[in-house]
Amino acid sequence: MAPAPTVTFHVMGSLRTYCAGAAQLSISGRTVRAALEDLERSQVALYRNVCDETGAVRRHLNVFVNADNVRDLNGVDTALTSGDVITILPAVSGG
Amino acid sequence: MADRVMLTVGTRKGVFVADAAKSRSSFKLRGPFGLGVPVYTTLIDTRGTPRLYASSCNPFFGMKVLVSTDLGKSFKETKSAPAFSKADGRTLANIWSLEAGGGKRELWCGVEPAALFRSHDGGDSWEMVPGISNHEHSRKWQPGAGGLCMHTIIRDGNRIHLGISTGGHYLSEDGGDTFRASNSGVGAGFNPDPYPEFGQCVHKIVRHDAAPGRLYMQNHGGWAEWTGPGGPRPDIGVLRSDDYGRSWRSIAKGLPSDFGFPILVHPRDPDTVYVMPLEGQTRTCPGGAPAVWRSENGGNSWSRLARGLPKKETYFTVQRDAMDIDHFKSPALYFGTTTGQLWIGREGGEKWECLFDSLPPIHNVKVAVV
Repeated sequence: MAPAPTVTFHVMGSLRTYCAGAAQLSISGRTVRAALEDLERSQVALYRNVCDETGAVRRHLNVFVNADNVRDLNGVDTALTSGDVITILPAVSGG
Repeated sequence: MADRVMLTVGTRKGVFVADAAKSRSSFKLRGPFGLGVPVYTTLIDTRGTPRLYASSCNPFFGMKVLVSTDLGKSFKETKSAPAFSKADGRTLANIWSLEAGGGKRELWCGVEPAALFRSHDGGDSWEMVPGISNHEHSRKWQPGAGGLCMHTIIRDGNRIHLGISTGGHYLSEDGGDTFRASNSGVGAGFNPDPYPEFGQCVHKIVRHDAAPGRLYMQNHGGWAEWTGPGGPRPDIGVLRSDDYGRSWRSIAKGLPSDFGFPILVHPRDPDTVYVMPLEGQTRTCPGGAPAVWRSENGGNSWSRLARGLPKKETYFTVQRDAMDIDHFKSPALYFGTTTGQLWIGREGGEKWECLFDSLPPIHNVKVAVV
């Protein structure tokens, strides 16, 4: 089996304190779920901000693969290919 | 030498710190700290070098515990926050109580969904306390309007009292290894059986070192008019125990409402207790005229303390942890409102004055001399 694709995980500014200031991380996975599992292994403090104790992406975060929200694709089972960029952003909120 | 009066104020937009000289004539405000997210509990830990703790309920990135080691000039996150195990299946929704434990660095933490955690290193690591967190009742507790929260932790030697909304009062007499529901006399107005074994919506519990066995409880009252199954259940909202919480009796007679959230006891007199009655439906002060009510005889009678407070057209709520009292000979009370005012009641609540009038909605107020 071919190795899992390597993708770029873009880290928003307020989360960089959890990964030694890195703006981007290289992680691997055939799906978003697998990539997040790789993130848990390599950057557990950052991972805890993204996913809750059960492994689910926190409710008020949006996960994008390149420009697409995974909600409009196949959720965390969205397939990844080498060079993809995963971006996690807080949902729009106010009040 | 302790010489500053310190207030921590948890709000919907982070935590503020205010301090003053012992005269308490003028408080200086700092903050907000945190990322502008709700803070439901704070702790002024006066063991050794003082530390301030605050929970941080971040709706995006999860729960954090913040700590300040410079008397509230700055805060940083502890190395971790309480968390359930993946196998447990529960997810942390909020942190409702932080209390000092034994030694210099032990902390206890009550969370939502109702569970108890303990830290031995000042909040850098946490372990769940299974005796209550996995209690056989725990999966039957139900959330109140504020969530299924463990909001009260009272340590008294090997006794530990917990307040859970809605779960009731739980008591451990073995240092926290095991707990049992201890709600005899605690009403549940919203239940067809008004006196169930557990499931009461306890709002707050306090005790006093000088009165062993004595506890006061603000329970979920406001059910005097109920005419359905089980019949009326008046005066279930303000209670007293004289046997370490094994049984409870009403002390609500004489209050304008038995509904409310906070309850305090005078630091030097266990017979002096304070509540803030609210109307059960609106959860605002009766008649739009806020007042703290004080009993100086353990709840046998009550008097109204409102000098300096608005006399009309005032409709805030004071939440369960938004009122505290300092430990001076002539103590001052402090309460924060959902409309963002922080009030001080000098001379034991005889004279009220607004310290800050435009803070974010206030969830929590704590005071200590450091």
